[in-house]
Amino acid sequence: MNTQQSQGLSRRDFLRWSSATAAVLTLAACAPSAPAPQAGTGAGSSGAPAAETLKLRMQVDPEQEKPVVDMYRAINPNVEFEFVSVTGIDHEEVAAKILTMVASGQALDLGYAATEATQLYAGQKLAAPIDEWVKRDAAELQEYFADVHPSLIQAMMWEGSLYQLPIDFNAANIYYNTAVLQEAGVEAPGSEWTKDDFYNIAKAATKKNASGATETYGYAWTNRLWGGWMPWIFVNGSNLLVEEEAPGGEWLWSEFYADDPAAQGRGGGWRWTAPKANDAANVEALEFLVQLYQEGITPAIELGGGDTLQGFFTTGKLAMTPAGGFWAGGLNNAGMPNGSFDVQLMPKWKNQRHQFGTAGQWIFADGKNKDAAWEYMKFRISKDAMLANGMFNPVTLTTPTRRSMLTAERFAETGPANWQVFYATLDDHPDTAPIPAPPVSNPMTAIFVGYTSRAMNGELTPQAALDGMQKELEDLYARTPDMYAKPA
Amino acid sequence: MSSEAPTAQHNELHTHRSANPFAWLTENTLQGMARRKALLGYLFLAPTMLGILIFTAGPVVFSFVLSLFRWNVFSPPEWVGAANYARMFADSRALTGFWNSFVFVFFAVALQVALGLLLAMILQARMPTWLRYTYRTSFLLPMLMSGAATAIVLGYMLHKEFGAVNYYLGRLGISPIPWLTEPGWAMVSIILSYLWLATGFTMILFIGGLTNISTEILDAADVDGAQGFTRFWHITLPLVSPTLLFAAVTGVIGGLQVFDLPYIMTRGGPGDSTRTAVMVMYESAFKNMEIGYGSTIAVVLFLIILAVTAGQFGLSKRWVFYQ
Repeated sequence: MNTQQSQGLSRRDFLRWSSATAAVLTLAACAPSAPAPQAGTGAGSSGAPAAETLKLRMQVDPEQEKPVVDMYRAINPNVEFEFVSVTGIDHEEVAAKILTMVASGQALDLGYAATEATQLYAGQKLAAPIDEWVKRDAAELQEYFADVHPSLIQAMMWEGSLYQLPIDFNAANIYYNTAVLQEAGVEAPGSEWTKDDFYNIAKAATKKNASGATETYGYAWTNRLWGGWMPWIFVNGSNLLVEEEAPGGEWLWSEFYADDPAAQGRGGGWRWTAPKANDAANVEALEFLVQLYQEGITPAIELGGGDTLQGFFTTGKLAMTPAGGFWAGGLNNAGMPNGSFDVQLMPKWKNQRHQFGTAGQWIFADGKNKDAAWEYMKFRISKDAMLANGMFNPVTLTTPTRRSMLTAERFAETGPANWQVFYATLDDHPDTAPIPAPPVSNPMTAIFVGYTSRAMNGELTPQAALDGMQKELEDLYARTPDMYAKPA
Repeated sequence: MSSEAPTAQHNELHTHRSANPFAWLTENTLQGMARRKALLGYLFLAPTMLGILIFTAGPVVFSFVLSLFRWNVFSPPEWVGAANYARMFADSRALTGFWNSFVFVFFAVALQVALGLLLAMILQARMPTWLRYTYRTSFLLPMLMSGAATAIVLGYMLHKEFGAVNYYLGRLGISPIPWLTEPGWAMVSIILSYLWLATGFTMILFIGGLTNISTEILDAADVDGAQGFTRFWHITLPLVSPTLLFAAVTGVIGGLQVFDLPYIMTRGGPGDSTRTAVMVMYESAFKNMEIGYGSTIAVVLFLIILAVTAGQFGLSKRWVFYQ
């Protein structure tokens, strides 16, 4: 008789079953979590339900957002908030963290994204279009849209649908240190200045010591998508990618911008359909930046969000740099008094078309409380809420999208004196457009930054660097052929 | 008759086992005791084995499977077979990443081991105990620092224009060095930063190894007239060779996975000059959401580490001596 068979559970069986159980657990651990049931408000409801308490999970800077949340909770006590702070060296890193959170099943209700990530989220269908809510609440939103330039709204559209209500924007203008320019004996630039004027001022402001090392730089910039050398590509009449307007969006323009000439002919967002990195105008622009470096007018390029440049600027080691309204508050916080710096438009080269980035909240498509999220998003762009927002109060840390909030009073203490430049960039140059940021903006930015760096440190000529960039961008586009819907 | 008794006993046991499925474990025999002892051992091992299975072996297998797919997490995976591997071997950024990792490991680990051994030997010399412990603690302290925090601070210190390092070099009449903004210097800076962080631990390993050397052997060497470098080369080094092997193996494994220092200090630049294989893997998988391609790089890196470690152990038979 085989006693082995008669045993209830042998050691081998035990080990076998243990292994099998562990393998099942492993697979279970790797499996995506089950989709969460929709809870809270039903579609079409006009606000947060009064009866039950719900919680909105929101990607924000808690300190800046708290005044707005307090205001909101005063009238909606049943809505609780969980702040999720997501930080990164630059926008692509924040986006990478958000994508990873979503991939691991940790969807939020509301995110915050700049142009760099708008199409990234929309293209992955992570963000919910807000068209239906906007149409439903059109009467409430008329005042907001009337106060915001249409180019900022268009930048938040993707394939005809709106995804965000922009709350802040920054176009790359030129900040200059007034003391450094005065010491160099050059006048502050006017709005009609040219690229040659810029070069002469930068060269005059550059100060070298006896050994030829630069002590004060005429110009410096950060190697990133927004505000790096992209502004020079734009004023030289080009772009990194072939741009075209997506169809659609008529519903929005006819509803909110029917009488605004700046909105005429706008489509349903931007498409960046192919790379054109090695366009002759781009090579020329990069050669100009390399020339500035070789002449010691600019230091080695920096990475990141520009903190180091701020250090250069505030200590009088830098005359000019590209930055947006966000720099005014930063310089003030760093101790620069009003009058010690000012701002001007980018100089004219082939044209004076500026690049900008804008940002606002977006609703997670898989969020549990989308209607409640919309209600908060709508409240957040109301003028009272924006005035209370820590982004604009007490110091203006970034440029509000509402034209009415850009006032002399706002900049009276901090400067710059020429604050009108911020909105004039949009009003006087309606062809000003967002930085190119297709759904593949993260790998695109890595390629852009990498080859820029190689050209600037002399490893490659500008032409060779942009040829390499073009090749890699073409490969990237070839791997993602369905990025945009086919043109209608 | 004699053969019937055991059969009856056997049947009884069988009946008993049928009634109690755990009888094989609870029976009061030597075999039963051995089984209980073995099971206890397995139970103690189970949490660790389960942890390794779920958090190490599982992801390794899962990564290999993923490397055969194109997957961005948000859409269904698409089978691509070996296409990700073909792409990786034609991807100049990935290949540069692997090359940079090798360069980093070669110099960083060699210097880490050499400096660690040198410091350990210096600290073994005669000196007041309080001084010895002060030095030991000082050299070990950087290991307690977070790599990310270290990278941020060193990034500022090595800044060409504002950095404290160039400031003091300037006081000595040395021109500012582009520590982080020139390709050659950037890798040097990363290696030096790594050494500052990691050498203390290697030093502690070698102090342990040196302490374990029998004084009788050293005394015998003294009697035979072995001094200085001769004693180090022929006596000390062979006797700390097991520690040397451990330091080299762990150093290579850790070095091939270096990420935080270059990611924060240079973000892989200038150009791709400090971009390591792990950085390319991270950027592919989590920035570009090309999970399959990122997994491919992870698998190749895993195989390289496996091969290098196996090679180290294989070669160690020729130069590692155990007392």
